[in-house]
Amino acid sequence: MTFVSLSRTKKTLLAGLVIGLILLAIYPMAATGYGIRFMLQLFMWVALAQSWNLISGLTGYVSFGHVAFFGTGAYAAAILIATHGWHWAPASSMGGIAAVVLALIIGYPCLRLKGPYFAIAMLGLNEVMRVLVSYFEGLTGGGLGLSLPTLYASVQIYYAAGLAAIAASVAAHLIITSRFGLRLMTIREDEVAAEAMGVNTARYKLYAFLISAFIPGVVGGLHARDQGYIEPISVFPLLTTITMIVMALFGGKGTVWGPVLGAVGLFCFQELVWARFLYLHQILFGAIIVFVVLLMPRGILGLVQQRYHLSRSL
Amino acid sequence: MQNGHLLELRQVTKRFGGVTAVNRCSLELAPGRIYGLIGPNGSGKTTLFNCITGLEPHDDGEIRYKGERIDGLRAHEVARRGIGRTFQIIRVFPELTALENLLVVTWGPFDEAHRRAQELLRFVTLDRLQNEYAGNLSYGQQKLLEFARILMTDPELILLDEPAAGVNRTLLNELLEAIRNLRAQGKTVFIVEHDMKVIMDLSERIFVLNYGEKIAEGPPGLIQSDERVIEAYFGR
Ligand SMILES: Nc1ncnc2c1ncn2[C@@H]1O[C@H](COP(=O)(O)OP(=O)(O)OP(=O)(O)O)[C@@H](O)[C@H]1O
Ligand SMILES: [Mg+2]
Repeated sequence: MTFVSLSRTKKTLLAGLVIGLILLAIYPMAATGYGIRFMLQLFMWVALAQSWNLISGLTGYVSFGHVAFFGTGAYAAAILIATHGWHWAPASSMGGIAAVVLALIIGYPCLRLKGPYFAIAMLGLNEVMRVLVSYFEGLTGGGLGLSLPTLYASVQIYYAAGLAAIAASVAAHLIITSRFGLRLMTIREDEVAAEAMGVNTARYKLYAFLISAFIPGVVGGLHARDQGYIEPISVFPLLTTITMIVMALFGGKGTVWGPVLGAVGLFCFQELVWARFLYLHQILFGAIIVFVVLLMPRGILGLVQQRYHLSRSL
Repeated sequence: MQNGHLLELRQVTKRFGGVTAVNRCSLELAPGRIYGLIGPNGSGKTTLFNCITGLEPHDDGEIRYKGERIDGLRAHEVARRGIGRTFQIIRVFPELTALENLLVVTWGPFDEAHRRAQELLRFVTLDRLQNEYAGNLSYGQQKLLEFARILMTDPELILLDEPAAGVNRTLLNELLEAIRNLRAQGKTVFIVEHDMKVIMDLSERIFVLNYGEKIAEGPPGLIQSDERVIEAYFGR
């Protein structure tokens, strides 16, 4: 076995992390409007990929409808802002709570389903939510969407999204390095054995699901405020779920830093290529999915971690 | 504890469609002893274990542990009451390390759990592999790890489904020694095993299943010469 002496490396990494965070904190002072919006979206992706990782990377229950929580949060926050005059910060928190409530309602029946059935149920949930939102026009504006009062708050939302990304990553770290996180992983590894060893798998799955729903709910609220306008197709797109999944898989599911790495790598790649080659971008994105699934099912960090016997939290 | 029995089965029946895997099976286990469960392939041994541990709901009958009904409880509840088991087909958590496989089944203070886990890994000679993924261990090592994982939960009743299968002689002797040690600590062990020598040496009392029915029960010496048992195993 190759044990890398970690304490030194760890200190360097930690120092790098602190410097990085300081740079990100002062970044808006020097940045262009584009730069701020770019980073703001990147933060949101980090948070989304982390949230998917918590349920699917740890327990193995692959959610194909995670954007449902994002959309629910977006609508809850937008309604509070637009029709009740709430400030966007508490409104976004309520978006998170709305997503948790949704997760609580559907979690119990859905989490009894195994493998592909759970994935498909979640896919269905997203469609149902989109239809519901379109249907209740009085509340949501239906297919016409919902406009929020104009507000220039990119910098504040930058910090809020950054906070969401940090909070999601800290949560991931705390969970993955704890016995709670290990118990979630036993569900992925062998749910029957986990039960037989005394793990209340139903309850643990639900906890993971609720935590995992809260984050996209908040991010959805921030997204609504950031965009100033939402409609059913813009906040419930399947592509968003797929992007979160690919980010987490690419970086390394079940690890703390995998979703961060995946989100940064893929989002930067997307932005760079997107502007120049629209079609090439889509082909490349598809190619990355195939490549990751076939050749690197553990993702980049998964490979490194196995190779050098590193912990999931680095 | 009702009339001193640790585990008590009354007329337990389990059907799978047309197959009656366990048929009105009754038995009692007293604390601090080693029991054997034998029977031809498909006679319902694993299914009986699954019923006791709550993994398969039974269709009829009663299961009592320390005098209380445990049938109807979910598997994790049964486990937390002190019944641990291993599986006929190994079920370690492959992408958790050997150490994590043990830590994850503990609920008490972490430091204490960690100390105990390392002690147990030493006991099953896996201490040098504690940071290796369980899935990378050899078959025998995984079997030992699964055994250690049970001990980690400190159960009072331990169900072992074919612990000797696929384990080499030296390892086997250590395993048998470990099982006897458990008895010395006052644990009750219930073992399914096809290796007759192992089961006859180890058990104080043996139950025999055939087509889901208990056809004999008694000390090893008597079981070996029991007509029905010989018939079940070798036919007429
Ligand atoms: N989940 C299941 N669904 C349907 N039938 C089952 C199931 N589990 C077991 N059976 C059937 O129940 C009967 C008893 O099986 P069981 O596995 O309990 O036997 P066993 O005594 O453990 O056999 P072995 O010695 O081969 O391990 C068999 O006929 C088997 O086909
Ligand atoms: Mg069996």
